[in-house]
Amino acid sequence: MTSLVQRGLLLLALVLALAAAVACGEGGGEPTPGASPTVLGAVQVPYPLTIVDTVGREVIIEAQPQRIASLSPAATESLFAIGAGDQVIAVDKFSNYPQEATTRQQLDAYEPNLEAIAGVQPDLVLLFYDPGELADSLERLGITTAVLGSVEETPESVEAVFDQIRLLGQMTDHVQEAEDLVADMQARVDAIEKALADVEQGPRIFHEVDATLYTAGPESFVGGLYKILKAQNIAAGAGQPFPQLTQEVIIERDPEVIILADGAYGESPDTVKARPGWGNVSAVRGDRIFVIDPDIVSRPGPRCVEALETLAEYLYPERFE
Amino acid sequence: MKLFGSAARAEPLPEAALGALLGRALWPRLALGLAALLGAAVLGAAIGPADIPADAVARIILSRLPGVGLADSLPRSWQDIVWEIRLPRVVIAGLVGATLGLSGATYQAVFRNPLADPYLIGVAAGAGLGATAVIVSPLDASVGGVSLVPLAAFGGGLIAVALAYGVARVGRTVPTVTLILAGVVISSIATSATSFLMVTNGQRVLTTLTWLLGGFNLSEWSKLWWVLPYVLPAAAIILLYGRILNVLQLDEEQAQQLGVNVERVKLLLLGAASLATAAAVSVSGIIGFVGLIVPHAVRLLWGPDYRQLLPMSMILGATFLILADLLARTVNSPSEVPVGIITAFCGAPFFLYLLRLRQRAVF
Repeated sequence: MTSLVQRGLLLLALVLALAAAVACGEGGGEPTPGASPTVLGAVQVPYPLTIVDTVGREVIIEAQPQRIASLSPAATESLFAIGAGDQVIAVDKFSNYPQEATTRQQLDAYEPNLEAIAGVQPDLVLLFYDPGELADSLERLGITTAVLGSVEETPESVEAVFDQIRLLGQMTDHVQEAEDLVADMQARVDAIEKALADVEQGPRIFHEVDATLYTAGPESFVGGLYKILKAQNIAAGAGQPFPQLTQEVIIERDPEVIILADGAYGESPDTVKARPGWGNVSAVRGDRIFVIDPDIVSRPGPRCVEALETLAEYLYPERFE
Repeated sequence: MKLFGSAARAEPLPEAALGALLGRALWPRLALGLAALLGAAVLGAAIGPADIPADAVARIILSRLPGVGLADSLPRSWQDIVWEIRLPRVVIAGLVGATLGLSGATYQAVFRNPLADPYLIGVAAGAGLGATAVIVSPLDASVGGVSLVPLAAFGGGLIAVALAYGVARVGRTVPTVTLILAGVVISSIATSATSFLMVTNGQRVLTTLTWLLGGFNLSEWSKLWWVLPYVLPAAAIILLYGRILNVLQLDEEQAQQLGVNVERVKLLLLGAASLATAAAVSVSGIIGFVGLIVPHAVRLLWGPDYRQLLPMSMILGATFLILADLLARTVNSPSEVPVGIITAFCGAPFFLYLLRLRQRAVF
C-alpha cells in the first residue's frame, strides 16, 4: 500500500520536475514553426493580429491588450523591459523582477487555477508551460492565451530570446521598444563574442544547480550561455539538459571554474571547498568558485545578457573588468 | 532442490534437535553470504564512472595502512575519488542495505505479515515529510556544521512511528492490525503533506524528488556517524531475539503462555527496527523494495528460522544494495540513476525467479 502511495507521488513529482525544468529556461516546447514574427515596418500594430505561439497554436489578438496576466517570469521581465508593464495586471508568484512586477496580483504558474486566472479578467494570458489544455480552456472562456514556451535549443538560444521579445513587442504594440532592447542585447553579446574571438577553448566549468549535484548540460539554455563563452561543460555527454552528475565524475573531469546557482540552498565557495574529496579540484585549488543568481542565468529574458557578462568575468577575469 | 531441503524449514522439531541442526547449517551459509558481500564490496570499489585501473584502486586502499606508500605516484584525483567518494559510498550503501534487510525481517516477524516492510508504519513517509520541509524552506542546508535534512528526516520518521504507535495503543496492548492501519493512515497524511509542499514549491522539486527516491551520491565518511550509533545497538538487540521471534510466529496468545512478554517484545523490536531504519533513511533517502524482498529471498533460500533469517537478511541486504548502487552510478554515466529504481527493477525479477524455484521444489 505504501508503495502505491509512493508511486502516485512519484508520478506527480515527475510531472512537476518537468515543469521545473521548463521553468528553468530549458526548451520544453515544440519546435516553433514560423514563430519568429514578420517584423513590421510600421510601429503601429494593425489589430486584429494573428501570431503563432511557440507550441504552434494560432492566436488572434483583437486589440492592444490592456489586462495581461503573465504566468512566466521571463515574459514578465520582457514586458516591463519594453514598456508594456502598465498593461500587466497579474503575474505568477515567481515573477519577482522588476520590483514593480511584484505589486501585481499573483497567480500560480505551476498549479494554475482556471478560476483564479479568469477571475482577474485578463484580455491576454501568457503561459510558459501548459500543464494540460489550460490554454484551450482559457480560450473557451473567451480569454486570448499564448504559450510562450521557453527557448529552443542552443546555440540559437539568445536569438530565440530576441524572437520572443520581438513577438511580445508586436502583441502589446511596443514594437520599437522591443527592437531597441534586442539591439542593445545583441550589441552586448557581440562585444563578448568579439573579446573571445581568439579563444580556442575556454576553461572547464561545472554549473551547480543544486546541492545534490544537478547541473546544466550543454543542451540547456544555461548551457547555451556557456557555449557562447566557449567554456567546456563537464556535463557534456550526459544527454539530458539537467543531469545529476555522479560525484566522482566531477572530481575526475576536474572543472577549472565552478559556478554555484544554488546559493539559496546555503551552498557557497566555502562549503564546496569543505567537501571531502574536492580539495584537489582545479577550481578549488585556484579559488575560482563563484555564485550567480539563478534567476538571471536561467530565465530566457532580457537579463540573460547580464548573466552572460557576469559569467564572462568569472571565466576570463583577464579579459573583462 | 537441495537448498530448500535444509533443516530450518522442516516442520516442528524438538528445540534441541533444531538447534543442533542449525548449528551445522548456519556456518556454511554465513560464510557464503559474507563471501558474496565481500565480492560485492570489491566490485563496488573497483568499478565506477571514473576510469581508474583496479590495481590502482587496490594500491590506494592499501596505502592507507601505516607505512605503506604504494599510491604516491598515482594522481591525487584518483586517491580522492577512491578514498573520499567511492569507498564511503560502498560502505554506507552496505550499511543501509543491512539495516533495511534486518528491519524488514523484524517487521515481517512482529506483524506476522509477509507484506510488511520497514516503511509500513510511517518511517519513510515521516522522514520524507521532514526532509521535504527543510528542502523547500528558506533555511540553509546546514546550521553550525549540522546538516538539517538528515536531522529532519530522522525526526520526522520517528515522530510518524510514535504517532502510529500512540494511536493504535489500547490500554497496555497494541494490536498489530490496528498498528498497521494507523501506520498506513499516518503515512498517507505525511505523504499528502509532502506532495503539497512539493507542488507549492515547484522550483525545488528536483532536489526533493532526488531525496525521496534515495541514493548515495553525496556519501562521505562523516555520514557513518549518522547511522552507526543507532544501527549497531539496534542490530545487536534484534539479533538476540531470533529465538523469541520464532516463538512469536505461532500466535501471540501461545507465545504469551510460553512465557514471552509479547507487548514488551513488540515495543522493543519495533522501536529498535524503526530507529535503525530512520537513521538509514536519513542518510540515503527512501530506498524501496530492499526491506521487503531481501527477507523473503532469505526465507526462500534457507527457510524461516529467524535465528538465521535475521543475520542473513543483513548480509544479503548489504550485498544487494552495494550492487544496486554500483549500477546506479554506472548505467547512465556520467549521470546518476536513483538507486530505488534499480532496486525495484533488478530485485523483482530475481525474486520472481526464487518464487518459481520454490514452486518446483514444493511440487
